[in-house]
Amino acid sequence: MGNLYYNKTAQWIAYAAFFAALAIIPMRIDDDFLLNQLATYGVYGLLALSISLCWGFGGILNLGQGIAFGLGAYGMAMTMQMQSQTVENPIPPIMLNNGLDYLPYLWWPFQNTASGLIFALGIPTLFCAVFGRIMFKARVSGAFFAIMTLAMLSAFYTIILDQQAYTGGVNGITPPSPLRLGSFEIDPYSSVGYWVVFFALLIATVVAKLITQSSFGLVTQAIRDDAERVRFLGYSVSGYETVIYSISGFIAAIAGCLWVMLVQYVSPAQLDVGFSISMVIWAAIGGRMSLIGSIIGAFVIQGGQSYLGDAFLSTWLLFLGGFFILVVRFLPNGLASLVEAGLGLIATKSKTATSHEPNGAKPFPAE
Amino acid sequence: MEFGSVLNALILGLSIASIWLIAALGLTIIYGAAGVINMAHGALIMLGAYSAYMLQHYVGVPYLLCIPASFVIVAVVGLILERGLIQYLYNRPLDTLLATYGVALVLVQGVRLIFGSDPKYLAVPEIFSSSFMIGSVSISTFRVIVLAVTALLVFGIWVLFYKTRFGVQVRAVMQNKEMAASFGINASRVYMLTFALGAGLAGVAGSLFGVLNIVLPTMGDSYVVQAFLMVVVGGGSLAGTIIASFASGELQSMFAFFTNDTFARFLIFVLIVVFLRFKPQGLFAKAGVRR
Repeated sequence: MGNLYYNKTAQWIAYAAFFAALAIIPMRIDDDFLLNQLATYGVYGLLALSISLCWGFGGILNLGQGIAFGLGAYGMAMTMQMQSQTVENPIPPIMLNNGLDYLPYLWWPFQNTASGLIFALGIPTLFCAVFGRIMFKARVSGAFFAIMTLAMLSAFYTIILDQQAYTGGVNGITPPSPLRLGSFEIDPYSSVGYWVVFFALLIATVVAKLITQSSFGLVTQAIRDDAERVRFLGYSVSGYETVIYSISGFIAAIAGCLWVMLVQYVSPAQLDVGFSISMVIWAAIGGRMSLIGSIIGAFVIQGGQSYLGDAFLSTWLLFLGGFFILVVRFLPNGLASLVEAGLGLIATKSKTATSHEPNGAKPFPAE
Repeated sequence: MEFGSVLNALILGLSIASIWLIAALGLTIIYGAAGVINMAHGALIMLGAYSAYMLQHYVGVPYLLCIPASFVIVAVVGLILERGLIQYLYNRPLDTLLATYGVALVLVQGVRLIFGSDPKYLAVPEIFSSSFMIGSVSISTFRVIVLAVTALLVFGIWVLFYKTRFGVQVRAVMQNKEMAASFGINASRVYMLTFALGAGLAGVAGSLFGVLNIVLPTMGDSYVVQAFLMVVVGGGSLAGTIIASFASGELQSMFAFFTNDTFARFLIFVLIVVFLRFKPQGLFAKAGVRR
């Protein structure tokens, strides 16, 4: 028996147990406010998942995931804002307040809920595909790509801040009523909101897991480990990188939409550099090479921030920064690698105990 | 659009360029010599401003002496940082980026715990806070000081790197660490000193920015990204950073003249991304250098 950590069945069982635990929560909790807060952690989990997919499995450190998240969030907020506009009152207040007496073209696709949602998810993904294509084709990689994503993030942040009449500027958009799909209203302060996020996280995780196990995922992992060799083997490295980066962006865009659905609010703060880097911190501490490790990293860190942090936010961030330094220095693959090492230890122990294992057990591909 | 206002924009552009350049100088040296992506640079700038504030407020050191003092204090912080953390990460460039971001978090929060989040102010001699006229153009004296200090630092770095024994060693290590080491150069010591030097330069920048803006724990954050862009566009060399800063400063000022400051920044960022699409190695990259 090899290391249980690499056993695919064991991995799927761990995932099932994890989601079963998450599914029990709404049955045990009556507090709608708390449920809403827990659902936002699910959104952070989605973001950590997207980072893990792109960074842990594609080797692309993306410090600008806030772009996809923010664009998705703005798209959703615009859709929800337009839902509450009527025929007598067709123009959202942020435009009227900024002296705009017509609906700008930018907002047109969001008048219809279905097309609004398509645009909210499609535009960030398209951005990732185009930006990724440009960058990866020019063989910008590693730390340089990270810096470029930061630059793009700052660019979006400034433009959204600047175009007040279109985006609400620093105040952002505050849709007055919850999201309606057809005649059904998704109340964010209810178990319905929680379940929506739960299933989004579940589906995204399963799909991401399947991607990492597919031959596509194996090639991206090979690129992560040595891009040059993969290129010499005849693969289109930039193509693979663009696709994994776009998938990651798509997941982040979903997270953005769900986030606005839950909190009914969006502002340039969602495109803040610090927020995007904290997504990377969740994945780094939880373990970027493990999808579930990254998600748990997001839960624990954001949970800790809201429960301990309210009173001692500065102390908490100081502690988090210090802990992050230690993880980067001593545990580059995050806390999940402790689990990996622990299970490995058990495996070797049992092996020496029985010592009749056939030699040269075939190595399992890394998760 | 008359000639005076264009001239005004050009002079303002020069001033912006000097601010961007002085913020990017330390980064250029650290990245160029050691390949370290130092995300703590903004926090070091902030520390420089707080060092100047402390010296001025509690000890009563005159402002002009605070500038070199900030250099020394932040250089020492940089030295400790290099010995305690960075030296273990030289062959993991992405991890230096993450670890130094952690350092930035710690430094910013530490300062916030000690000094609070309320803004502090640096007092400068009366003459610095005035402005003077050249023709129809009004120029703030302090911006001229920033420009002068920047020019002085660039000259100093040039002398250090190209006219001294230490500079030869740094450049040798930059070109090939192993080869330099086999000729008896202590590469680890060179890295340590260049990191301290880069940090010290951030300290100087901070002591100047503390006057241009208010002193806050988060004041350095906004400089990191744009300073990095200058380094990346310049390709990690000193001359490259100088030209990149000059060009971006002037463009920023010209764009701002026609639109506004925020939109001009947006245009600059987009232009840089487009530029790097066609020249991913930056302006003056040597062949075969890591990127």
